[in-house]
Amino acid sequence: METATARPWPDLLRAGLVHALNLGLPLLFVVVPILSFVAVSFWTLEEGQILLIPTLANYRAFFTEGSYLAVYLQTIALSLQVTAVNLALATAIALFIFRRTPRVRFLILMSFMLPLFMSYIIKIYSIRSILGQRGLLNEAMMALGLIDQPIEALLFSRTAIFIALAVLYLPYAILPIYLALDRIPANYLAAAADLGATPGQMLRDVVLPLGRPGMAAGAVFTFILTFGDFVTPQMVGGIQGFTFGRIVFSQFGLALNWPLGSALAVILLATTLLAVALAGLLLRREHVR
Amino acid sequence: MRHKAPLIDALLGLIAGVGLVALYAPLLATAAISFFQVVRVRGALGFAPFSLDPYAALLANGEILAALATSLVVAAVASIAALGLALMFAFYFVSARRGLGLAMQTMVFLPFLLPPIITGLSLLIAFREIDLGRGLVTIIIAHIVFIVPVVYRTVLVRLQLLGSSLTEASLDLGASRVQTLRYVILPQMRPALISGVLLAFAISFDETLITLFVAGSQTTLPIRLWAMMRVGFVPEINALATLILLFTAVITFAIGMLQRAGERA
Repeated sequence: METATARPWPDLLRAGLVHALNLGLPLLFVVVPILSFVAVSFWTLEEGQILLIPTLANYRAFFTEGSYLAVYLQTIALSLQVTAVNLALATAIALFIFRRTPRVRFLILMSFMLPLFMSYIIKIYSIRSILGQRGLLNEAMMALGLIDQPIEALLFSRTAIFIALAVLYLPYAILPIYLALDRIPANYLAAAADLGATPGQMLRDVVLPLGRPGMAAGAVFTFILTFGDFVTPQMVGGIQGFTFGRIVFSQFGLALNWPLGSALAVILLATTLLAVALAGLLLRREHVR
Repeated sequence: MRHKAPLIDALLGLIAGVGLVALYAPLLATAAISFFQVVRVRGALGFAPFSLDPYAALLANGEILAALATSLVVAAVASIAALGLALMFAFYFVSARRGLGLAMQTMVFLPFLLPPIITGLSLLIAFREIDLGRGLVTIIIAHIVFIVPVVYRTVLVRLQLLGSSLTEASLDLGASRVQTLRYVILPQMRPALISGVLLAFAISFDETLITLFVAGSQTTLPIRLWAMMRVGFVPEINALATLILLFTAVITFAIGMLQRAGERA
């Protein structure tokens, strides 16, 4: 807009202020906090005091001490299971929406998305009240004569965490898959049908391959969100369900070991970044082929 | 893909149905229990007749009401501050050099892309370093950091849709930059601004994972509820849950309508 020649200095000052505000604020409130948490992961904790002595002890603790590594692997397994199940469910649901007429599509999509905007803590609470030993699910099954005794394992167990996470994060997987399907040009499908493809063949050879970027995005969302969630496992998992996110959180609460907590959080962050990179890599390889 | 495939459709429909039940049954059950409390007669499940007792108890619960007030204050302050910041960032993105704009945008988006646990504990550590005690201020800052990306995204999309011709015409006709902003750009962006603020308000009102790190003794509703639920069952929670679900449904509906109106404009 403006030429670079001879700008008066108040203009330069104003431009400087604009840059300082727009780059400085995010730097100060986003980048610096992240850097400082990474820095804290290298500090030493002695008798409850954080000392500025660089160390790798916090990272060593992850591999050698207690059950950090075991819980980490268990949590990855749990998150992968939820991701796999939700990916299958979300793909089926997105396909179901995709096969409706445009008028109905928006309505069905909205009814699957509405829970996204509902209170997180209240959703967990409702799921917990359904799963509980005296919860509605057990009572209903007993009333119907399906079981004689309430199934105790429904609450405060790994199964409970699994169910709660799957229900909570299902909409996050549906949306990207549906959006990918929605972008498929209608004439591709018409062409496939004209060339004599059966609905099953069209699904397998046209629709699903084109929906794959959405499926990758949905899988990554689900994995990251379930892996980092620490409130759901605590609310429905009780002492049984100790996940990696809960361990990280507890280091900033009761355990009060910020350096160790930061180191574990760095590992959590690295894991989620790895998941993103892996999904990107898989998609690119597919593209090349 | 509306070629007939009854078997596939039946299977997909069944899965979609199960999905809807899984998503809504817990919420509806909670709402139902708030009106018809569960009672046990000789061990068997039964429902008490319709009553609003949990709602009366809710109105008498000072702790919950205080947390609700905190949540409303936090959400209002944070979403309005986020709107101002988002506008500033969006104008910067369309006017500054591309590299600088992208650098700003990447930083702004980070808190929304990272797992909330990471955003939460980085802010906690940063607040500690500058000796800012956990309280209302830290909660508000954290919420602003978290919701700015959402408002920014909404505002930027609308701003880029507007294009530069209106601004140029206004400047050519002799309006100052401030006048152009006040009388040309902002009115054009009103639907985006309102839906951005509403969305930010809804997200802030519900934020739990980050707030858990930065909240002190004065805390927001989700955190208070979290603390209460850990202790045990409180009938008021069902009443409150029902009200909040109703409230979020209304806000979501409003945002949807506004965004549709914005698309049509």
